[in-house]
Amino acid sequence: MSKQNKNRQMAWVIDLNKCIGCQTCSVACKVLWTRDDSEKAQWWCSVNTQPGEGTPRGWENMGGGYDAEGKTSQIGQQPTPADFGGGFEFNHEEVFYGGSAGKVHLEPQAPREGRWAMNWDEDQGAGEWPNSYYFYMPRLCNHCSNPACVEACPTKAMYKSEDGLVLRDESVCSGGRFCMEACPYKKIYFNYEKHIAQHCIGCFPRIEKNVAPACVRQCPGRAVFIGYLDDEDSVVRKLIMDHKVALPLHGEFGTAPNVYYVPPLSPHPLKEDMSIDTENPRIPPEYLEGLFGEEVHGVLKTLQGEMDKVREGGSSDLMKTLIVYKWHELLGPFTADPADIIVKG
Amino acid sequence: MKVETTQSPAEDLMDPSSAVWSDLTSETVSLSPVPLEAQPNEYIRVSRAAKPYGATGEAVASAVKNGEQLFVRLEWQDDASPNTEFADAAAILTGKGDEIQTLGSEDAPVGFWYWASDREQSLSLISRGPGVVRNNADVVTSASASLDGGRWAVVLAGPSSEVTDNQIGVAIWNGSNDERAGLAAVSGWLPLDTE
Repeated sequence: MSKQNKNRQMAWVIDLNKCIGCQTCSVACKVLWTRDDSEKAQWWCSVNTQPGEGTPRGWENMGGGYDAEGKTSQIGQQPTPADFGGGFEFNHEEVFYGGSAGKVHLEPQAPREGRWAMNWDEDQGAGEWPNSYYFYMPRLCNHCSNPACVEACPTKAMYKSEDGLVLRDESVCSGGRFCMEACPYKKIYFNYEKHIAQHCIGCFPRIEKNVAPACVRQCPGRAVFIGYLDDEDSVVRKLIMDHKVALPLHGEFGTAPNVYYVPPLSPHPLKEDMSIDTENPRIPPEYLEGLFGEEVHGVLKTLQGEMDKVREGGSSDLMKTLIVYKWHELLGPFTADPADIIVKG
Repeated sequence: MKVETTQSPAEDLMDPSSAVWSDLTSETVSLSPVPLEAQPNEYIRVSRAAKPYGATGEAVASAVKNGEQLFVRLEWQDDASPNTEFADAAAILTGKGDEIQTLGSEDAPVGFWYWASDREQSLSLISRGPGVVRNNADVVTSASASLDGGRWAVVLAGPSSEVTDNQIGVAIWNGSNDERAGLAAVSGWLPLDTE
């Protein structure tokens, strides 16, 4: 197990009932951090349709992390560029200047067979009509408290910051890619031109200026919260520790992740005679249990109960918190406007 | 290893197929894997316990000095599998101490003149154990390579002043076996017999 000097721990909470899969978080991150040509295929923040194969393809079965106690290293697989996919070249020249308007369409210049990219299986989900189902799940580096990537790095390029972020000193990274094997969430990319691994840095230059990370601030659905776990006033602490409605993804990976999810409720399915099956949710609880653990059942009950309370005219602190009437509440202490930040030099 | 002094220009010496090299005495150098137990963290030790590495058993080495520069030519048989994720690589090790088998240690670091098949420039590194490397901007190295019939021939050059105790070592990484960092085959110290 890695031994880190942790001062504070930053955490994200993502309400999957509010995520509309618009990819604004993904794009906000992309334009900030991975615009270089060598970073084309990198999506430090990505939103995938669940159930689905994910980004990179099949990541949930690639190993890494620790045993459930967070002690014994588990052998991991390094995702290949094909697993991440994307980074396509498009036929812009042909479409815009080739004189074939309306006949030729924009298309990745890569063989159709085996094509893959971030969120490639969008909206496919699972289930059979009329009970098909899916939801969206943003993912970024989990900035784990027990990060397998930090443990696996031979050069100690990776470390935990005082804010609890998992960061990387690129000048020290030797491109060994053990971090990519060891990370069970497979949210580390390799830059083949710069010979270094790269991943979400929690927008630490913004954090240092009290500006929330781009994925948080730009979310139009007010679905992403941030704050410190030790801050008694933080909304993330309230959702994780007080209301206990936010759960880590695949906690059994043993890395103590710090991105938490409010699991999705779903409408009831229809029976064969087209009457409503009021006993069950459309998203199978066992699928959610596979992602968020056994606690998910209690959380769904709590969420439903609080919703019902409000519907009946009552008041719910939990529902008010999740609705986010005041936008600044989800920004934690990072409420500064980036437009007000003066960058010198 | 015998090290002659030459007046041949550096451009010729940097060409692995130059006739200069065929006139020199070469030596076959035995290599063995960096010990698993010396790998720097639990993840690497666990994940490589059942995946052998460092299988390049030998290389042919020759060396020549031109002014302040030492040129070392290495030649070895690459395995037939194509590289996918990792590059073939080689390094000349400089330094002293008993810990060459672990690519140096915290107390006895070794220098690397490092070449990799996916990099345009050679690197100069300081190694303090398997995979525990840092760039060393103080030392300028150069390298050139050719691949012929599955055999690599690589010339690495660096300042003779970096060679301490009149000895060098050799390390080789087989890219198609996912070898990188401390997953290497390494020689013992090779005494240099300088003219």
